[in-house]
Amino acid sequence: MSLVTDPKPPRRGPTDPLLEIYLERRANLVRFFAARSGSTAAAEDLAQELYVKLATRDQAVTAENPVALIYRIATNVMLDRARGEARAVARDAAWRRVAHASEGGEDVADEAPADEAVASRQRLRQLVDAVGDLPPQMQRAFRLHKLEGRSHAETAQAMGLSVKSVEKHISAALKALTAKLGR
Amino acid sequence: MIKVWRNDDDARREDAAAWVVRLEAGDLGEAEAVAFDAWLSASAENAAAFDDALAVSQAYAAAAGPVARELSERRAPAAPVGRRAVIGVGAVAAAAAIAVLVAPQLAGPQTETYVTAKGERRTVQLADGSMVDLNGGTRLSVRFGREARHVVLAEGQAVFDVTHDARRPFLVAAGDRTVRVVGTQFDVRRLGGKVSVTVARGAVEVRPAQGATGKAYRLHPGQKLDHVEGESGARIAAAEPSEILGWRSGRLVYRQQPLSEVIADLNQQFATPIRIEDADLAATPISGVLVLDDQSAVIRRLALLVPIQAVRSGPDVILRRDAASDRP
Repeated sequence: MSLVTDPKPPRRGPTDPLLEIYLERRANLVRFFAARSGSTAAAEDLAQELYVKLATRDQAVTAENPVALIYRIATNVMLDRARGEARAVARDAAWRRVAHASEGGEDVADEAPADEAVASRQRLRQLVDAVGDLPPQMQRAFRLHKLEGRSHAETAQAMGLSVKSVEKHISAALKALTAKLGR
Repeated sequence: MIKVWRNDDDARREDAAAWVVRLEAGDLGEAEAVAFDAWLSASAENAAAFDDALAVSQAYAAAAGPVARELSERRAPAAPVGRRAVIGVGAVAAAAAIAVLVAPQLAGPQTETYVTAKGERRTVQLADGSMVDLNGGTRLSVRFGREARHVVLAEGQAVFDVTHDARRPFLVAAGDRTVRVVGTQFDVRRLGGKVSVTVARGAVEVRPAQGATGKAYRLHPGQKLDHVEGESGARIAAAEPSEILGWRSGRLVYRQQPLSEVIADLNQQFATPIRIEDADLAATPISGVLVLDDQSAVIRRLALLVPIQAVRSGPDVILRRDAASDRP
């Protein structure tokens, strides 16, 4: 790759072995971020941020296991993001208060391309039915953790189980739900 | 034979669910992360199973409140009434959108023109309180009449956050399409003979301008309309408004958009024009995020998403397919 637009040659192009490894694993890293951040849209952003971190890192830092190093930096990117998020949420809320969010009226309707309300009601019913069909312990663990937002440790305490058993119940629940609802 | 395959499938689903739960717990160690990466890379089916489990997990996260309410109401004896209320949420939200506010009449019509240089972004407040964010290389004029608020987007891209005024619709003309608004937030883009409209909040109506042909469409949040000027059709697709509106914070997000569109966006940001002469390359779909800082850095990052080479030609930069990438 030659870049005439840049007066100096790029300090590190994709010939950097770490960046090569990153590129090979980009799809995996996006999945990692999507699960960690809970948002596929944020995952693309985080993967890009990780790339910038890797491309501008101190090259004196080497690693025996480059994949481990990439995931370590990826975890740091996640943590940085989590710290920044609290600030962003406060900022967004302030913006929304100022920006008069009055909604539009329905005075001119020519065509509605999709009835999303019906589809989302059906989807909600499927989600509820699938959880309702789970065995009691699995269902309780899933509801406490996923639906009521308790951590694994808090769920374990509420159910009088070990954290390990709670994780097993939640995994088993997700497996059953995916079998029912996934593609 | 079938049985073996089923067992594989089942084990894979189990692994996928376990990884999703491990990752979401947030305390994944380095060794585990490496094991996760190896498992994902082991087969395309593993990756697909992971995507499946993650999608289901995120569907529950997104609907946690309503699902939890429904579940607890199913158990309670007085379920029917409560459940109906929850099911009705969509309809109630739609009804709430029909709010009417009346803004004071403003003085006689007067045209104001706003222009941004390449790479310059500006936020302006209009006389009715509406806010407009202008992207680089944008020209826009505003005229508020008694019956309607008229905006002409001659070129470029802008996000409108419109003050509700049921008596005076807010009309944005972009080429041969007009966007009609009551009160909402949306993005309009007119570049290279293409018009796109994305709605973040509220609803807008996009109809052919006088003399142009085609249908009128009503767009809701999360919908994007793409139209080629001069044609009668339009394409409506789902879009993530935060991504489309991302340019306001210096970030361009693409999902399978042709490289030519990416270049059109970049040419709004930087003074040195970028050109592509290879039509196949121009049509190559791009997915990824571009952070806008300086042009050569952006091109370098773009080269990670698609194999390209940038060559200076007179005042322009020409992008070519990177010849080295064709050789194994």
